[in-house]
Amino acid sequence: MRLRLDWFNKLRWGAALGVLVLVLVFGVVLKAPIEIRGLLLTGAALLLLNTVYVLRSLRVPAEDINSELRVMKVQMVGDLVVLTILLSLSGGIENPLLYIYVIHVMIASLLFKGRQIFQIAWLAIFLFTAEVALEHYGVLPHHHLPTAREASHGLPFILLTLGSFWLVLFFCAYVGALIMRHNRAIKDELVARQGALMKADRGKTDFFRFVNHEIKSPVTTAQSAVETALELDGGAMSAQAQDLLRRAVGRLEKATLIVNNLAQLTRGGDLKPGELRDVDLNELVTAAVDDQRDLAAAAGVTIETILPDPPLVLVTSRTMMETIIANLVGNAVRYNRQGGRVSVRLVDAGRHIRLVVEDDGIGVAEEDQAMIFGEFYRTRAAQELSDLGTGLGLPIVRKFVDNLGGRIELESAPDQGSTFTVVLPRRFGRGRLR
Amino acid sequence: MALKTILVIDDDIDLVEVIRVTLENQGFAVIDAQSGERGIDLAKSSDPDLIILDVMLGKVDEGFQVAYQLRAEEATRDIPILMLTAVADQTGFGFDPSRDGEFLPVNEFLEKPVSPRALVDVVRKHLPTSV
Repeated sequence: MRLRLDWFNKLRWGAALGVLVLVLVFGVVLKAPIEIRGLLLTGAALLLLNTVYVLRSLRVPAEDINSELRVMKVQMVGDLVVLTILLSLSGGIENPLLYIYVIHVMIASLLFKGRQIFQIAWLAIFLFTAEVALEHYGVLPHHHLPTAREASHGLPFILLTLGSFWLVLFFCAYVGALIMRHNRAIKDELVARQGALMKADRGKTDFFRFVNHEIKSPVTTAQSAVETALELDGGAMSAQAQDLLRRAVGRLEKATLIVNNLAQLTRGGDLKPGELRDVDLNELVTAAVDDQRDLAAAAGVTIETILPDPPLVLVTSRTMMETIIANLVGNAVRYNRQGGRVSVRLVDAGRHIRLVVEDDGIGVAEEDQAMIFGEFYRTRAAQELSDLGTGLGLPIVRKFVDNLGGRIELESAPDQGSTFTVVLPRRFGRGRLR
Repeated sequence: MALKTILVIDDDIDLVEVIRVTLENQGFAVIDAQSGERGIDLAKSSDPDLIILDVMLGKVDEGFQVAYQLRAEEATRDIPILMLTAVADQTGFGFDPSRDGEFLPVNEFLEKPVSPRALVDVVRKHLPTSV
């Protein structure tokens, strides 16, 4: 911001010197009948003002951006007033230099933003219109500027008009080039940053692919080996040895689950052409609930489903919907209380469909609600209740819901249960296919 | 009655051993190959009753290529194939036989890790006349 202020001050040196040179050339050298004294005084006043501005800029350290903007605005108003006085002393509406107002508005558009630019434009309009009107009605004296029609002074007028024309044109070109250079720099930076992000994303995907290939195979083989050993000779082992091997299987199962979840999270997001098809959501909910029946029965949790009739069929990704429903229903059962209840509802709401999974389990505190959709985050209550979770189920749900053009909402409070609502558009834009 | 022979095509020798122990204990004979090429040769020369094929051999989808070749050859066309997959790491999703079955010439997919009991069950399922 301080740089802009210094740039603004440099322009003002040019303007003040320009005024003094023009007055001396026209008034003294060409002996044009203009208000030399008033104009020289105003030019000198502008030089003095700018000296004050520059000294302030050198002495006062840059403060916050808003106070710097205020200083610039005051200076801009001062400049417009000085310009109006100069024009008033040199013919008013006759003076072709009136287009210098345009330059001021362009400078304002570089320095300020939004409404402030229009405020400067309105001020310029007001000042010059008032000057012209006041001269017209004789309130202000009119200082005649010799015009082209007065043959003896033809050349000075032509020079002044052309000079004004050139000045405004060159300034417009300068400002346009400045803006475009700035835009191009921003664009280059954005492209570079996007490239870096894409590279980082590819790196992440490659890493998880590596984890999958290099870790999942040994883990699953180890699990199969231990299970086979238990199956073959488990009966001949001591109870302690059997228990240890079963624990090993449990840990290997969890490792497999994490690797599978990571795969879904990193690779499963992209919809493939042909993946969208008619999917019977009633059927998916029924299957997901059936999968949880044993676990629910063991925990004394009852599951009820409320499904539309006829069945709700949606053009969507079957695999993603299966995962979304299975993860939400699984969580509702796992993070419930003994004897708790789970309700799974499918609602056809016209342009949208809603999947509502409600439980009266441990719930999620408000400060955790945004976090539980982040990777590997598990609330303390969830960790205490179950060590089976991977902290990846809800991030996967959110990613898939997002991929399908929907959103997920959560209403919950600790020990008051949770209600997860997935809202999906009935018509899924195929444009989202990658 | 001769033992039913199972051909295991997999480059993970530990998994081959697990499968061998499991199936031999259930009265099957097990032969194995650690590459797709060797597997195809063995399938032709030994005429196994069933093939267990890993989707990931040397290359990402080599198992599929092997399956297509086995189906294309007269001698091996009718041998049931069980495909071992860790597909979540390939596509992010499990295969859906109702959707993919018509394109993929295998009888069933088995997602790793395969428990010994499930393996024996599914092998028996595809060998209806076995012991």
